Amino acid sequence: MVIDEPRRRLHPLSPLLRSAKALVVIVVALSWQTLRQVGLGWFALMVLVLLLGAIVMSVVSWYNTGYHVVGHELRVYEGLLWRRTRAIPLERLQSVEVVRPLLAQLTGLAELRLEVVGGGKTEAPLAYLSVADAAALRDRLLAIAGRPVAPVDSAAEVAGVAPVRVPGDGPLLLAVPNRDLVISQLLTPQALVLPIGVAFVVLQFGFDPSWSFIGVASTLTAIAGVLLQPVRRILSDWNFRLSRDDTALRLRFGLVETRSQTVPVDRVQGVTATWPLLWRAQGWLRLTLDVAGVAGQDAANGTETDRLLPVGTADVAERVAGSVLPGVLLSALAFQPPPERTRWFHPLARPKLGVALTDKIVATREGLLTRTVMMVPFARIQSVRVVQGPLQRLLGVATVYADTARGRSAALRDRDLAEAWWLAAELAERGRVARLAAPDRGRVVVPAPVLEPESAPLRPQPSA
Amino acid sequence: MDIAAAGPTSPLEPWPDTVDWQPVSRDLIWVELIRWGAMAAMLLVPLGVLWGIFGVWPLGLAFVVVLVLMLWRVWTIFRAVRAWGYAERDHDLLVRHGLVVRRLSIVPYARMQFVDVSAGPLERAFDLATVQLHTAAAASDARVPGLRPAEASRLRDRLTALGEDRAEGL
Repeated sequence: MVIDEPRRRLHPLSPLLRSAKALVVIVVALSWQTLRQVGLGWFALMVLVLLLGAIVMSVVSWYNTGYHVVGHELRVYEGLLWRRTRAIPLERLQSVEVVRPLLAQLTGLAELRLEVVGGGKTEAPLAYLSVADAAALRDRLLAIAGRPVAPVDSAAEVAGVAPVRVPGDGPLLLAVPNRDLVISQLLTPQALVLPIGVAFVVLQFGFDPSWSFIGVASTLTAIAGVLLQPVRRILSDWNFRLSRDDTALRLRFGLVETRSQTVPVDRVQGVTATWPLLWRAQGWLRLTLDVAGVAGQDAANGTETDRLLPVGTADVAERVAGSVLPGVLLSALAFQPPPERTRWFHPLARPKLGVALTDKIVATREGLLTRTVMMVPFARIQSVRVVQGPLQRLLGVATVYADTARGRSAALRDRDLAEAWWLAAELAERGRVARLAAPDRGRVVVPAPVLEPESAPLRPQPSA
Repeated sequence: MDIAAAGPTSPLEPWPDTVDWQPVSRDLIWVELIRWGAMAAMLLVPLGVLWGIFGVWPLGLAFVVVLVLMLWRVWTIFRAVRAWGYAERDHDLLVRHGLVVRRLSIVPYARMQFVDVSAGPLERAFDLATVQLHTAAAASDARVPGLRPAEASRLRDRLTALGEDRAEGL
């Protein structure tokens, strides 16, 4: 059977890095209140004791954490009292990310994050590995993920050290200039509010010098809060580089925390293009990537981890979109608006709504001010729904949804009823044809409609 | 692209020539009625008691309004259960339901992740079960209530068999 390779530990420095994170938490938890009450000496002592505790805990947890690859699984072992073993089937791997926070950059370490289908959160963040180890492990996992199931006798080869083909950095597809990035983030509503906020503070202070320090401070805090998102975007999208080889996209970005995300192209569930109102003058747009498993991971923070192009012109976007969804031309999508009578639902936006089908994808366009186009390949449609509300019934229209594993659905809004049925039938049929033509995971379990029942093996052998 | 191709126009009967819709059991009406009755009682009894004690007219009005809504809902339950339907096609399962908001789901067998068969105490009392098909998309809505247990297990077995044949992951 599969030869067990030895369990490996995380990098010996990881407990220290984790403790450094804990230090911040400890100081925040103790708060200024405590500092004022107990004095600096006692405060330092308390922090020290708690920090020592944290270090001991991290060392113990580091000692008990291990990982290794068994066949087509990555196994991660954790815990001293509550042991936990997670087996991550690599066929389900959707994307791999190498994340390097500031401290990790200083110490030459990196964290490896895997995204699998059905994971509400990131599975198995391996923190921390040395950069070389992280890169090697990532390439190995991707190589295993993209490979057909090996027959049992060659399992030793699977566990071997040299992957057949490593999805490394392909040719550089795109580099976003940092100047464009900063300008694009200055052209967000939050950034434009800033001058008004500053003027407000200055005016208040000018007319009413008795305005308290607290008032100024809280206003400034509020402004900082508003500015947080654009600033965070700039920091996280700094030096955005996108490259692609024949099977995977490699995205690198980040200033304080650098990330390097690898997404196999056949795991892309869809691409969304957004034209924010304030970017119109520049003709810029933004592309985001829908990958199953990354679903809403950082939605609460307002940062999307699955961006494909933070800012770019139509030409650049065309090139990028075309490389992710081959044969798709953003500008060539012929959108059909919903019927005239639905203007009661969308008095202004009706002509901007639309649906387009090509031979590979279904695209929907929405939005009057911020225009978005969502593109879903037929092969990624999980299910099709037709929904008709009471008002829609009055006008004889219905909405067709194409659901993807990302949890977001492309909504083909307010189509004429006959057209809606036609679209639903068409999406279901084209989805089936596309799945058969490109059985993305068909290598794992081959569709076997032609096997005779008596000769059917338990697991179809890969055709020699 | 001929996007406005002619097609069937009835909102509840798409593709009447090719699709053989199966109704769900009429006993589901009783299950729904009892469920609804329990909820209605929980709302109406306190209202009625309060009205009896205080005797102010807004409470009475609320009582009557709720009662009328409940009775209207009872009438719609009969029609809603008749509107539920499912059909097994060669490559996908169709489920339709809803009267006010009408929904049709088309779920390819190949996209199936797992199948749930469930039966609550009330459903068991009427010898019914619910089959639910899950895909990787949370939005997929393929639930068939009101099946006889035999039919439910037949459907489950057929779905899993077809799903295995055509499994392609994502």
